[in-house]
Amino acid sequence: MARRGNVETLLVLKLQPIAVDTGSLDRDGMLIIANGLLVGVLVRLDAPEHAHPGYWFLEAGFGPLQGVRVDAFPTLEHATRWVRHHLNR
Amino acid sequence: MQHALTRKLESFEPLSDQARWALNGLVIKVRQVGARQDLIQEGDKPENVLLILDGFACRYKVLPDCQRQIMALLVPGDFCDLNVFILDEMDHAIGTISTCQVVDIPRQAIDETATHHASIARAFWWCSLVDGAVLREWLVNIGGRLPAPRIAHLFCELLMRLEAVGRVTDNSYAFPLTQTEIAETMGLSDVHVNRTLGDLRALGLIHLKQRVLTILDVERLKAFCDFTPNYLHLRNTRWGERRDLSWPGRAEGG
Repeated sequence: MARRGNVETLLVLKLQPIAVDTGSLDRDGMLIIANGLLVGVLVRLDAPEHAHPGYWFLEAGFGPLQGVRVDAFPTLEHATRWVRHHLNR
Repeated sequence: MQHALTRKLESFEPLSDQARWALNGLVIKVRQVGARQDLIQEGDKPENVLLILDGFACRYKVLPDCQRQIMALLVPGDFCDLNVFILDEMDHAIGTISTCQVVDIPRQAIDETATHHASIARAFWWCSLVDGAVLREWLVNIGGRLPAPRIAHLFCELLMRLEAVGRVTDNSYAFPLTQTEIAETMGLSDVHVNRTLGDLRALGLIHLKQRVLTILDVERLKAFCDFTPNYLHLRNTRWGERRDLSWPGRAEGG
């Protein structure tokens, strides 16, 4: 995604709303698109029994985010900051 | 009532009065350890053999990104590595999950008891073999089953293991793991554990409240996750009589 080194490659992150079938009440999601490529899907935890209702959970990751387990984020800003940091590593 | 170690070993084969008496002699130095405390850490030199007499403990490793993987649950009657004193240092940690009663058994006492009682020596081997079998089953479970049957399989296994040591009443048992600890055990995220427990509840298979798990329909839960208890090698689940395993060159001491 981004080149390692002193100069960070420009990383354009876009979020695009999508409904996701998680088999639960959590269904409002966001596709995370980095430089035109889908790298992850965030889902808002709406089911009341979650430890942090309203948080955003990385439901699935692709490429550098594949299989990554990370705590849910309080806001979309926190999520995109983490994604940006993770892709720039 | 017999303590958990005797009950566990007798779930393999019945023991004589002398053997039971010898086992009682191992369970002397009992100490209480609070929840979520390390009993031994990675890198420590193992000294005594640890036995969990009451409560839940676990075997775990922590990855560099601080993610924890629990590789085994230790319940009443379980040794934390019977022959661990052979090794120079621990390659993983063992910590309590709930408050535990822990027994420190000197290595010499284990050796002597096994030498004088062939039936206990066999039962100790059985413990070690079953520990390996459970680990293999967990590998299959984590690598091969979807989240719902994966967690269901753990619940079925604990039902059998806890029943063997008298810790189950009306298909209910104490289940002190938090959702995070279930996630660390099953290789899932907290969110997926939360949803999956909801699914198992909605299917009418389990009830989990205030750290007590009730299995509402044991046969249906077993069928749901294709649970086969053969790997636990319990006496009451064997097909037939055990083979004659008297050891050559050893007197049968009971």
